[in-house]
Amino acid sequence: MRFALARALLRLFSVQGSYNYERMLGVGVGVAEEPLLRDLGDGKYRPAVARGAHFFNAHPYLIGLAVGAAARAEHDGAGPDQIERLRDALCGPLGSLGDRLVWAGWLPFLSGLTLAAVALGAGWVAVAAFLVVYNVGHVALRWWALQAGWTYGSRVGVALHHPVLQRAGTLLGPAMACAVGAALPLTAQYLAAPFPAWARLSLAVTATLGFLALRWRAGRLTGLQLALGLAAGALAAGWLWP
Amino acid sequence: MSLPVEIVLALLVWGTLVGVDLVSLPQMMIARPLVAGTVAGAILGDIETGLKLGVVFELLQYDILPVGAVRYPEYGPATVAAVATAHASTGVLGLGLGALVGLVTGLIGGITIHLLRRVNSRVVHAAAATLESGDPRALVRLHVGALLRDGLRAALVTAVGLGLAWIARPLLAGVLSLRDATLLAIAVVAAALAAGAAGTLRLVGRGPNLAWFAAGLGGGIVVAAWLQ
Repeated sequence: MRFALARALLRLFSVQGSYNYERMLGVGVGVAEEPLLRDLGDGKYRPAVARGAHFFNAHPYLIGLAVGAAARAEHDGAGPDQIERLRDALCGPLGSLGDRLVWAGWLPFLSGLTLAAVALGAGWVAVAAFLVVYNVGHVALRWWALQAGWTYGSRVGVALHHPVLQRAGTLLGPAMACAVGAALPLTAQYLAAPFPAWARLSLAVTATLGFLALRWRAGRLTGLQLALGLAAGALAAGWLWP
Repeated sequence: MSLPVEIVLALLVWGTLVGVDLVSLPQMMIARPLVAGTVAGAILGDIETGLKLGVVFELLQYDILPVGAVRYPEYGPATVAAVATAHASTGVLGLGLGALVGLVTGLIGGITIHLLRRVNSRVVHAAAATLESGDPRALVRLHVGALLRDGLRAALVTAVGLGLAWIARPLLAGVLSLRDATLLAIAVVAAALAAGAAGTLRLVGRGPNLAWFAAGLGGGIVVAAWLQ
């Protein structure tokens, strides 16, 4: 079974490869689960593969929990309805936990540290360190999730209360806030370095107004729209200003 | 932009890998602008430009929280195109021009991601009966087909970005004065800082983490002032 688990883990790295609006990550989940279903009996294998590819959506790094749990439940002889209910029940918690831990925690925390380090002159070494440290956590989380899902099966909810996950959730929020908070003035100074004095003042004013616009029009104005709008304005101003 | 063919090919391959990493495979964050820009800079022998534009687009990336089926711009290949544009331009001209090309490429990349997901939806819908039969070969074939489509999409976005870089340099660099280039650079750097701050505050929320954000911000300001 270790070989099948390793195979499932490798396939999990591409779980979002067939992302679509009909089954979301379902096809990728089915592909990742398939190696764990191969030793089911003839009458059980194909229906289990079909179930594995049904609609599913969650955080990609934690999907292994659902893949392992559903495969174990198939082996334990759980009924089709029970497995569908298990999958449905896991979508929300795995999505919100993963978003909180990774997209709003681990990733911006390390990104903030890297931005600060680059601004302080650490150069490409900081970027290389980011890539290595981030992926140690990334691969460890994927492997743990798959193993925990396979171990607990239908009782996978127990794994979601693992103390390390709880502790990480508590620590990463403040760490991320502090790291990115510190990075912002340092990167502002780093990016403003080639500007003359008048341009630095203009930069500070424009950035403040842009920030207020993004806060005021939250959800309706994006960073990309703001950047393209300001760039168009700057080109127009340069063209009109003799 | 007049670059040797082997450099352009290396940038195209790197941009494609970066584009595929964003969603499909393996999400190891080479798609982050800081990484994409630094490696693009290394390919061009200009790591400093890669780092600088990587920082600009990394800040813009804070505006994005990739949850659910949310639509967002694609800043990885965009940063590669931005660095290719800015390469060998001195000072603020490279920064402004590179960021402008990158922003347009990021917009195009975001549209192609949405289109690809719609194509994938149609393919999955058409294969519903096969999928319900539990045929593992059909399942894997469908998945690999989608991965290849994403690879093609990422290559196309990078090629368009490099094409824009090729056009933008002679088209704009010659007509922009130093003042115009400075205004353009101010615009994109200001937008990046604003997006970085607003995006971070959205993540932080109004709870206890806000105090940690304020503490970090204060510390950053002190260090920046000390280094001035």
